[in-house]
Amino acid sequence: MIPFMFLAAEEGEHIAENAFWLPHDIKEVFWGTLAFLIVMGLLWKFAKKPGSDFFAKRTATIAESLDAAAAARAEAEAERDRIKAALADSDSEAARIVEEARRSADALRGDIATRAERDVTSVRDRAEVDMIATRSQTEAELAGELSRLALGAAERVVDEELDDSGQQRLIDTYINNIGGRN
Amino acid sequence: MADTRTTAYAGSLIAIAAAEGALDSVTEEFYALGAAVEADDQLRATLSDPKLPVERRAQVVEDLLEGKASPTTVALASMVVLNGRGAAIPEISREVGRIVADEQDSVLAEARSAVALTDEQINRLAEALSTKLGRTVTVRNVVDPSVVGGVVTQIGDEVIDGTVRTRLNQLREAF
Repeated sequence: MIPFMFLAAEEGEHIAENAFWLPHDIKEVFWGTLAFLIVMGLLWKFAKKPGSDFFAKRTATIAESLDAAAAARAEAEAERDRIKAALADSDSEAARIVEEARRSADALRGDIATRAERDVTSVRDRAEVDMIATRSQTEAELAGELSRLALGAAERVVDEELDDSGQQRLIDTYINNIGGRN
Repeated sequence: MADTRTTAYAGSLIAIAAAEGALDSVTEEFYALGAAVEADDQLRATLSDPKLPVERRAQVVEDLLEGKASPTTVALASMVVLNGRGAAIPEISREVGRIVADEQDSVLAEARSAVALTDEQINRLAEALSTKLGRTVTVRNVVDPSVVGGVVTQIGDEVIDGTVRTRLNQLREAF
């Protein structure tokens, strides 16, 4: 049709030049018009439905694509929202875990400090008790040793001093003391 | 308080000694024998050893008293051992001293000392105790080296202790 239009345009120029727009041969016009109508009828008869189907399919495909795109977009937005929510949840969960860990650490530190203080007190008390016991034992042993030394010295003195005259003096003193009590 | 058997033996010994006219010497010598047996664990074990024939045990006592006691005392001590009562000689001798003192209207005082008291010391002690107790006291001296020095006198349940051993024990307890 376009070449025909060019032809028509060229013819127009000729028309303008000749001031007559139709070909000089009217038969050509007739046959040309008839061929045109035949072609158009054939096209109408045989190409209309496939063309309509093609465009309908094309439209449906585009609509499906648009729907799919919209659904994908909605899904993507939903996923985005879910991820945002999850991120928000994970932030709060992380904060909760951190807070719980901090509280646990504080409690543990408190327990450890209390236990350590208790252990220190216990060890110190035990050490004091041991020290007192050791000191008492040492004092007792020292007293016993002093006693043994003093008694040993006293017995040696007694053995050396208690000869017969010493014995007689002790006996006489004893008898005199009984007499003196009367 | 002595048991019936001990008192019976003591009474028999006193009767025999009195019949022999040797009550004082027998009482004194038997008391000394009792003190010796009491102080010597080995002698006491020998006199109470059932595996040793009583004749052998009696011989031990006779050997111990030989030259130190009158024949009457030796015979009486031997008789006690032959009757199987050798280990009871300390109790019997103490009972003899008590009964004799009772018969003399006096109380028996046992004075233990590391060395033997002289007669003069015994008399002075008896006099001092008699004055203290208000009745006649008969003093029997027992030589006991464990007292170390001084004298400890027991009259019944009363003890008057003036021994070096006790002083040393008090010193030990003071520490």
